[in-house]
Amino acid sequence: MKKLMLAAAAVAALGFQHSVPAQTGGSNYDDTQVLLAQIQSDRRAIALAGLGLSDAETSKFVPIYDEYQREQKALAEKSIDVINKFAANYDSMTDDAAKTIMKDWFKIQDDRVALMKKYSKRLEKVLPNAKVLRWVQIENKMNALTSFEAARIVPLAQ
Amino acid sequence: MRFLPFAALLVLAAVPQLAMSQEGLKADEQILLQQVMTDRRAVYAANLGLTDSESRAFWPIYDEYEAKVKKLNDRFLDLVNRYVADYETLTEAEAAGMLKEKMAIEEERMKLKQAYTKKVAKALPAKKALRYAQIETRIDNMLRRDVYGLIPLAR
Repeated sequence: MKKLMLAAAAVAALGFQHSVPAQTGGSNYDDTQVLLAQIQSDRRAIALAGLGLSDAETSKFVPIYDEYQREQKALAEKSIDVINKFAANYDSMTDDAAKTIMKDWFKIQDDRVALMKKYSKRLEKVLPNAKVLRWVQIENKMNALTSFEAARIVPLAQ
Repeated sequence: MRFLPFAALLVLAAVPQLAMSQEGLKADEQILLQQVMTDRRAVYAANLGLTDSESRAFWPIYDEYEAKVKKLNDRFLDLVNRYVADYETLTEAEAAGMLKEKMAIEEERMKLKQAYTKKVAKALPAKKALRYAQIETRIDNMLRRDVYGLIPLAR
């Protein structure tokens, strides 16, 4: 289950399995932080490559996107906590633990939807609407891939 | 961009084994949505390991949930159809309207999912409710991955 915790936490936070390096004996926390930074950098590059912004648009977009990423990272860390809680309780899950895990997980999902809404509104003020729509589509595609991988790797409750 | 086959394609992403007719696409969309829902039911029936009394408690809740989800799926299909129809000439106002509608659908989907998972958690042991929520999430994620992969980015 420990292996699951590491893999699931990394995938939940970072998405892409190929980004997960072998464990080298360092602390899991440090490893996760390194991986989080890497995937955030990758996501930023993907968003910028996909948006085709002018220089003026880029200079307005990037600071807002970096703020968005900081809030995303906080949510990713909360997801890791929930997965770790799930893994720690997996073999002897009580009803109370299951209820708490569900509640925490849903809260994170709510926050993700709210985050996307909040930042698309902010971007609407500095970019053309069609480019904001394109940004939301790119984020949705990335989130869909990462969420699929993260959920797939976590075993179903017994 | 070809408009007609697109919405059907979205649903076909979930049930690729089904062939698509070129006529009566609205009706076909509904048939395909029904197929997806039937498949979901089969997945739950096979994976939740419900006792008879749990089944009696679970399925009416699930049926109610499914009927509401179908309305949201219909809204999403309408949105995608409009997007594809307007794709070449999408105005700023249309883009803003579509963005708003997409956000509204997502919020409602999340609210619905949580409200009904709570109902399921009152009817089933919490561990089975958690298992239900995990399966629901996996299916949604799979559909989302396939559907978003098919929708072209705005220009």
